[in-house]
Amino acid sequence: MKNNVDRSKKYLNPYLGGILLGLVLLAANYMSGRGLGASGALKSTIISSVNAIAPDHAENSAYYNEYNSTHPEPLKTWLVFQMLGLIVGGFLSGAIAGRLKFKVEHSPKITSKRRLIFALIGGVLFGFGSQLGRGCTSGSALSGMAVMSLGGFITMAAIFGTAFMLAYFLRKNWI
Amino acid sequence: MGPLVINEIISANTNLLIAFLIGIGFGFVLESSGFSSSRKLAGVFYGYDTVVLKVFFTAAITAMIGLLFMSLFGWIDLDLIYINPTYVPSAIAGGAIMGAGFIFGGFCPGTSFCSAAIGKIDAIVFIGGLFIGILIFAEGYSLWEGFYKAGFKGIPKLSESLGLTDGLLAFGVIIAAIGMFYVGEWAEKKFPREEY
Amino acid sequence: MNSRVIFSLVFVGLGLIIAATPSNTTKAYKLTAEELLEEAYSRNQYISPDEVADLLINKDPAFLLIDVRDQDEYEKYSLPNSINIPLTNLLAEEWEAYLDQDIRLNVFYSNGSLKANEAWMITRQLGYENNYVLEGGLNYWAETIMNPEKPSSTSPNEEFAKYDFRKGASMALGGGALVGSAGGNKPSAKPKIASRPKKKRAAGGC
Repeated sequence: MKNNVDRSKKYLNPYLGGILLGLVLLAANYMSGRGLGASGALKSTIISSVNAIAPDHAENSAYYNEYNSTHPEPLKTWLVFQMLGLIVGGFLSGAIAGRLKFKVEHSPKITSKRRLIFALIGGVLFGFGSQLGRGCTSGSALSGMAVMSLGGFITMAAIFGTAFMLAYFLRKNWI
Repeated sequence: MGPLVINEIISANTNLLIAFLIGIGFGFVLESSGFSSSRKLAGVFYGYDTVVLKVFFTAAITAMIGLLFMSLFGWIDLDLIYINPTYVPSAIAGGAIMGAGFIFGGFCPGTSFCSAAIGKIDAIVFIGGLFIGILIFAEGYSLWEGFYKAGFKGIPKLSESLGLTDGLLAFGVIIAAIGMFYVGEWAEKKFPREEY
Repeated sequence: MNSRVIFSLVFVGLGLIIAATPSNTTKAYKLTAEELLEEAYSRNQYISPDEVADLLINKDPAFLLIDVRDQDEYEKYSLPNSINIPLTNLLAEEWEAYLDQDIRLNVFYSNGSLKANEAWMITRQLGYENNYVLEGGLNYWAETIMNPEKPSSTSPNEEFAKYDFRKGASMALGGGALVGSAGGNKPSAKPKIASRPKKKRAAGGC
């Protein structure tokens, strides 16, 4: 138990973390005129992979076409660079706090395998939803709220509302 | 005056370098706040750990009032910053699917990368899922293109829709956020988790 | 607990301040009233007919005369190579690229200097630079450039130099009394101006 207390102390105070994150978001808006994001970088990666592997398919499919017409170099976009930075930043913080370790984190009530299956399902849903909703928790909900976008507030309410409604059915996975 | 890249104070390539540096800050703050742990993230839905709520809303109100003050001092032109367009049906449906993904997978895209960076295998699997999900969306685009583009409302601000000034709305959000923080702290005491 | 109370109070305080201030007053008008008054008082916006004549004769490409009178007045008589932006149309989007730029010298003129001054003041408040006013307007232009008065024989040499210049300018610019556009003084076609791309919102989103 004592060990646990020590461990959790290594995390930043959440309010301090929030203020710092807010300042990062503010800096992004001040310098680049836009907020943070994540899923957009994955979309760029996928589109440039499809462009490379199956150029004919990319040409014929409306979605890739729409994107390619406005983004000549999908990988040379702001979000891709921001995500590369995010990986570096996360790694640095984990290294400093001594949290670098390969493991599957799961509730003791479930197996690793179950955790991984659910992680995959969750990833597929989140990936799909982020495209439909034009942005994920960072891109649409957080950055959208900061600039008071109506869409940002709607997405935020929908994400947290649905997750709360479903939480009861999946409690075994987490508690 | 900001935004710097729009006002051509920095070049497009510098902007990409800045994106990288901002990303480092983003990743560092997420990881050190504990967003690399899916069980910590999911905790907000059970009340045992509301770090997501606290960090998320503190960040939103900090950036929100920061932008308003910067605009007031003439440091940034709010008409030039990106505001997410609003498509009501797809925002609700997309948000709902993301919410389901959140409670199933325990991450959102940003936090999953952060978590993968420190070696969480479940996060790497989640990222694999993200790619599949986006690919499904792209491949089946013609099926939901109509729904995706329905209900376009332009780029309204919530303050405009409610007929409030930006400042008043920010004040309202701050009050709501602080209210939620107190509820969160209460919930953490009420629903403690036995082991970590 | 204490730090939480401080945290809440700081945010509520900042929120109250921002809620009580009128939103974004910095955007539409870039200059404060005091700054504008000071500029107007300094009379630095005026450019003399002699300078304008000089620029005109030299066909300076980085110089544009803008007639802010009504269209029919402009059609009756205008200065060479000038374009017409009636004061009522000053804020139309098509003119923004002409008025908000930093490569040319724009000179507003009207019959007197009143309308031109109004145009200058509005554009100045919007933060535009490089706009000036023809001192005294067309009336003064007619007196000085078109029908220069011969200085008396006791005048200093500079007066004569000025007179000679004006005489020359008058000849070069079609001379004599004010004549209508029939005198070969046809209003020129709009000069081509590469309009700067309008600043667009940053692209973003996921």
